[in-house]
Amino acid sequence: MNESTLFLATFILYVISAFYYFSFLFSKRANLAKIGFSFAFVGLFIHTIALVLRTFESGHAPFTNMYESLSFFAWSSILAYIIIELKYKIKRAGPYFMLIVIALMALASSPLMPKEATPLVPALQSYWLWLHVSVTLLGEAFFAVAFITSIMYLVADSKKGKGIKSGLSAEKLDSVSYKCIAIGFPLFTLGALVFGMIWAYYAWGRFWSWDPKETWSLITWFVFALYLHTRIVMGWKGRRSAYVAIIGFLAALFTYFGVNYLLAGLHSYV
Amino acid sequence: MKSLLNFFNSVKLAIFLLIIITLVSMLGSLIPQHRSLDEYVARYGQFAHLLNQLQLTKLYQSLWFIALLCLFALNIIVCTLTRLSPKLRKALHPKLEMESKEITVLKIKGEFKKNIGLDTAKKELKKELRSRHYRLKEVERENKTFLLARKKILGWFGADVVHIGILIILAGGIISGAGGFRKDLTFKERDIRGIPGAEFKLRLDKFETEYYPNGSVKDWKSTLTVIENEKPILSKVIEVNHPLSYKGFVFYQSSYAWNWTNTSVGIWVRKRKDPSFLRKIDVTVGKKVRLESENIHISVLHFIPDFVINERNEVTSRSLQPNNPAAFIEGWEGDEKIMSGWVFSKFPDFARIHSEKETDLSFELKNFKADQLSVIQAAKDPGVNFIWVGCTFLMIGLALAFYWPTREIKVILEESQGKTEVIAGGIASKSREALQSEFEKIMTSLRRLR
Repeated sequence: MNESTLFLATFILYVISAFYYFSFLFSKRANLAKIGFSFAFVGLFIHTIALVLRTFESGHAPFTNMYESLSFFAWSSILAYIIIELKYKIKRAGPYFMLIVIALMALASSPLMPKEATPLVPALQSYWLWLHVSVTLLGEAFFAVAFITSIMYLVADSKKGKGIKSGLSAEKLDSVSYKCIAIGFPLFTLGALVFGMIWAYYAWGRFWSWDPKETWSLITWFVFALYLHTRIVMGWKGRRSAYVAIIGFLAALFTYFGVNYLLAGLHSYV
Repeated sequence: MKSLLNFFNSVKLAIFLLIIITLVSMLGSLIPQHRSLDEYVARYGQFAHLLNQLQLTKLYQSLWFIALLCLFALNIIVCTLTRLSPKLRKALHPKLEMESKEITVLKIKGEFKKNIGLDTAKKELKKELRSRHYRLKEVERENKTFLLARKKILGWFGADVVHIGILIILAGGIISGAGGFRKDLTFKERDIRGIPGAEFKLRLDKFETEYYPNGSVKDWKSTLTVIENEKPILSKVIEVNHPLSYKGFVFYQSSYAWNWTNTSVGIWVRKRKDPSFLRKIDVTVGKKVRLESENIHISVLHFIPDFVINERNEVTSRSLQPNNPAAFIEGWEGDEKIMSGWVFSKFPDFARIHSEKETDLSFELKNFKADQLSVIQAAKDPGVNFIWVGCTFLMIGLALAFYWPTREIKVILEESQGKTEVIAGGIASKSREALQSEFEKIMTSLRRLR
């Protein structure tokens, strides 16, 4: 068994999970969602083994190029979804969330992403690599869940306006979005900003350089700070809050992908 | 003054500033920063000068951006201070006496009357609350007892701790920007260099580059010795991610460079008509060596690490990196020059040798040896400790704000005609459901009393 076989197995398990989740959505039979959840769970387990194998094969953390980090982001997203699902029971978000995960896995398997493990450049040889990347991506995974529940909120809210009842109430979706951000925001702050500054100080000699990746992670942080302040202090809820959460996740995505391909900077690895 | 204070005390201003700073930061990430004016002219044409005048080319260091950050800091300070003192009063000297309607408006509440003594009820209530780690305050007035039970009060201050952390980080950033210093120093082995503003010197004892089997760089390692009053104080091997700190200065392995002044090259000489003929010679630039068993000398006049022919048709080096190494060689037979020309290590077939005399020798530039220089960044950053303290506040504050929800339970116990009336309510800053179930359990245990 090698990493790429396990990665493929994981991918298939996630696709099956999505299939069951969507059948649940159309047939309204709750046990189909349970099967979907089980496949996602088994997928997470196999995915974990794949990441551990990758670590042993390459001899370094499993997120030093785009392929690895996409795979790790998919892993964190499933983990975040499973945590939120177990805690808040939002199985109707499952099918849509699995689409994001499948998109990540598909992107990772695309031929555009070089898959071979390359030795680490000097700047990445640090245990801060583990802390900085894993905590940041885990935080962003919770933003991804909030992104889905916020979009679902907008749909549920407009349905409510037309008098149609939806499976998950708009209020619940709004509150779950907030709870995801309440988990994701501290993680993102710690991983992206705090650990990032510490590592930058040891590797580059300055804790902050206004490198595009740094700037965009700060922008992401500002958007979620805005979410929290408008919500807690100014009492925004519902639609406006949902829009801010959606913009926040898009900013996180841009920090993750856009900066690499569109803006040049120090952060030229991933 | 008052209106100014009100201006800075508004959350709306904070939100406005957050949005403005976000948009400006985006703008700064789209315009490449700190480039030369020529580069901006090439990129933006006539707008280059405008960008320059608006300081958009060094946006994050510009006065107006710093002014924006200061405004934001002022906003946070005023907001935090005005909210802090009533909160502190509430935490330290809470009002204990209250009307029963202050409790009955709460979302979590309960009341009952029972045939038990007030002291029995109070004792049980306190036991229950204490076992759940509540801190109690009570006051008795006539036949009433007012009880205030609270826990995790620090949660109230989470946001304030976050804001103080951000202020400390901003202060650290300003101190770093104003008092920090950073300089790249290039060392040959055994070089001793003074550090600007420091009383000690630094010596590079050894510099080595380690490579992976595939040829890419694994690490650069510099052995540095601090020399103070002509005496070596300490030595450390630094590498990327592992700097040396000494007396407020930090020395980083920043990069490496080549010293091309004393290069030697390895050249393979073959004869076209005699495949078994192969001579490998090593020759220092400017020197001449004899080709073994032949009456021919080879000399290397020039070595160019990154060969390019510029627009004036001159040979020059595009950079100091060995991207396209080339050597200019000459062949001599006695005192007579028989050939000369360029050989390229990356393009062996491209050799341009002009022969003055018939010869079937061919040349290949196989390798080169040059000293590598270590580039060490010397930095002094007086703000960095503020950053770490600020980050600690930030994280503690976030943990308190999100995961240390304050809970309050207010109870009025009133005895009349041998019966005790209990009116109780609860307030939770977060996770109200959890407090609700805790509250129910406490009330149930009181109701069970006989």
